[in-house]
Amino acid sequence: MTSINPEILQRALLREKAARKQAEKILEDKSKELYLITEQLRKANKKLQSGLTEKTTELQGVFDNLVDAYVLMNLKGEIINLNGAAKELFGYDVSEEKINVIQLIYKDDFEYAINSFKLLISKGFFSDYIARVNTKNKGIRWVHINASIIKNSNQKPIGAQGIVKDITNQRAIETQNKKLLHDLEKSNEELGEYAHIVSHDLKSPLRSINALVNWLREDYENILDDSGLKNISLIEQTLEKMEHLINGILNYSSINNNTDLKNTAVDINSVLQDIISTIYIPSHTTVTALQQLPTIKGDKTRIQQLFQNIISNAVNYIDKEVGTVSVSFEENQSHYIFQIKDNGIGIEKEHFDKIFKIFQSLGNNKNSTGIGLSIVKKIVEAYEGEIWLKSEPKVGTSFFFSLKK
Amino acid sequence: MKGIVFTEFLELVEAKFGLEVVDKIITAANLPSGGAYTAIGTYDFAEMLSLLTHLSSYTNIAINDLLLVYGEHFFSVLASSYPQLIDKYEDPIALLSSIENHIHVEVRKIYPDAELPTFEIVEKAEDSLTMIYKSSRAMSSFGLGLMNKTFAHYNTNAEILLEHIKEDGTEVKFSITKN
Repeated sequence: MTSINPEILQRALLREKAARKQAEKILEDKSKELYLITEQLRKANKKLQSGLTEKTTELQGVFDNLVDAYVLMNLKGEIINLNGAAKELFGYDVSEEKINVIQLIYKDDFEYAINSFKLLISKGFFSDYIARVNTKNKGIRWVHINASIIKNSNQKPIGAQGIVKDITNQRAIETQNKKLLHDLEKSNEELGEYAHIVSHDLKSPLRSINALVNWLREDYENILDDSGLKNISLIEQTLEKMEHLINGILNYSSINNNTDLKNTAVDINSVLQDIISTIYIPSHTTVTALQQLPTIKGDKTRIQQLFQNIISNAVNYIDKEVGTVSVSFEENQSHYIFQIKDNGIGIEKEHFDKIFKIFQSLGNNKNSTGIGLSIVKKIVEAYEGEIWLKSEPKVGTSFFFSLKK
Repeated sequence: MKGIVFTEFLELVEAKFGLEVVDKIITAANLPSGGAYTAIGTYDFAEMLSLLTHLSSYTNIAINDLLLVYGEHFFSVLASSYPQLIDKYEDPIALLSSIENHIHVEVRKIYPDAELPTFEIVEKAEDSLTMIYKSSRAMSSFGLGLMNKTFAHYNTNAEILLEHIKEDGTEVKFSITKN
């Protein structure tokens, strides 16, 4: 082997040394980088761990504090855990005996339960499952269940959880309420019919009395003195009033049925004109609209009855030399609000409630039966509105009422 | 360029031509690194080019021929360092056709800053493969050396035809037919 020039060897050695130092530097840098990454990983891990602990504690809190029953099961339906409310409801303790949800399903609801379980598997959840369950100590209970699938980090289903609410009592109350409502409707209907029949029955003897009194007057006109004739006249007036009363009752009892309220367009302007031409308005009194009135949806007869009763009341109780009754309205998003204003005798504040009750008439007006305003109130309520008034005795009254659009 | 390419190159030069030649070409090349390389470092490709040029002029061997020999040598380096990567393939055609989609993917995991050539497959059959080599380094002969030894590794050989698509050798078509 030929000897190599020492200078070449020396240079080679220097290169090797330099290369080694480079390598050491690179490795040291890499080690430092690795150390830093490890530290970051450790921190991230710690954070994850603490996050996990936090979430676990939170979940445990939810589990313990949940008012409703919480059931945790595996995919075979074996119950893994029950919270306090669930133990109380089902009466089982899974630490003492093995329970499968299949055992808890009431036999008639089995198919429904299996279909819901299929839904749970395919969609990952089901909600508003309402069926019966068997319990250890409480017999068969109605429950409402919302359930969802639990997945592991690979998105593989590993179990299911359900929130179970005992709705047995709630259902009983609902059923009872339904029955009550039905009974109430029925008795209301019967009452309406009863009023109708009674009114009709009352009318026929009334007509007979009327006829008899008429014959009395015709046959004995020359025999009776003034006082006798006056009394007959009073009988006739009283009979007329009684007929008004009976008609009023008939009217009142027929408003009961809300389904009768037709929903056609009713032009309030023409309603007002009809009323003006129908009712008796003394010549010193005027009934006017202060503005163009709206066309609303409703049953024309009822709406006319509503306006007519208030307007004729207003006209009847005017004591001034020049009487005015005016109609105006405003509207908001849901309702029309009408105002009927008069310059009549006014109403004392203490009577505000009383006037809307049936058979309450304040004055001694012969045309007043005390039914008119109670009919008004009933119609307004049928249209989901309200009625109220402002009044100053001796100055006048304003009636306000709202009708749902 | 990864340091291992330099260290292995200089070792090969030393083995074939002796330490004096190593010393000579390093001194002549006047390199920024001074010719001190470590396998785990990264160095400028220009240094490799410079070393090759000086070796070529000293030995009168064409650069491409030097690269071919070096490629053949480098296969053994890879085979001993990453035997599991090579053992994954049952035959050389399968290995070569996986350079782009598998081997280079793995390389980038270890050396994210590696600058790799691309081997685009044009046609592949059981016993033949056509690929386009693309690299600014124009080291297709190095690739050829690697391929020769790949076939040898599987105890077979192949006819590998190189056609320059670009004159500077940055784009070369490899037509490989297994014998």
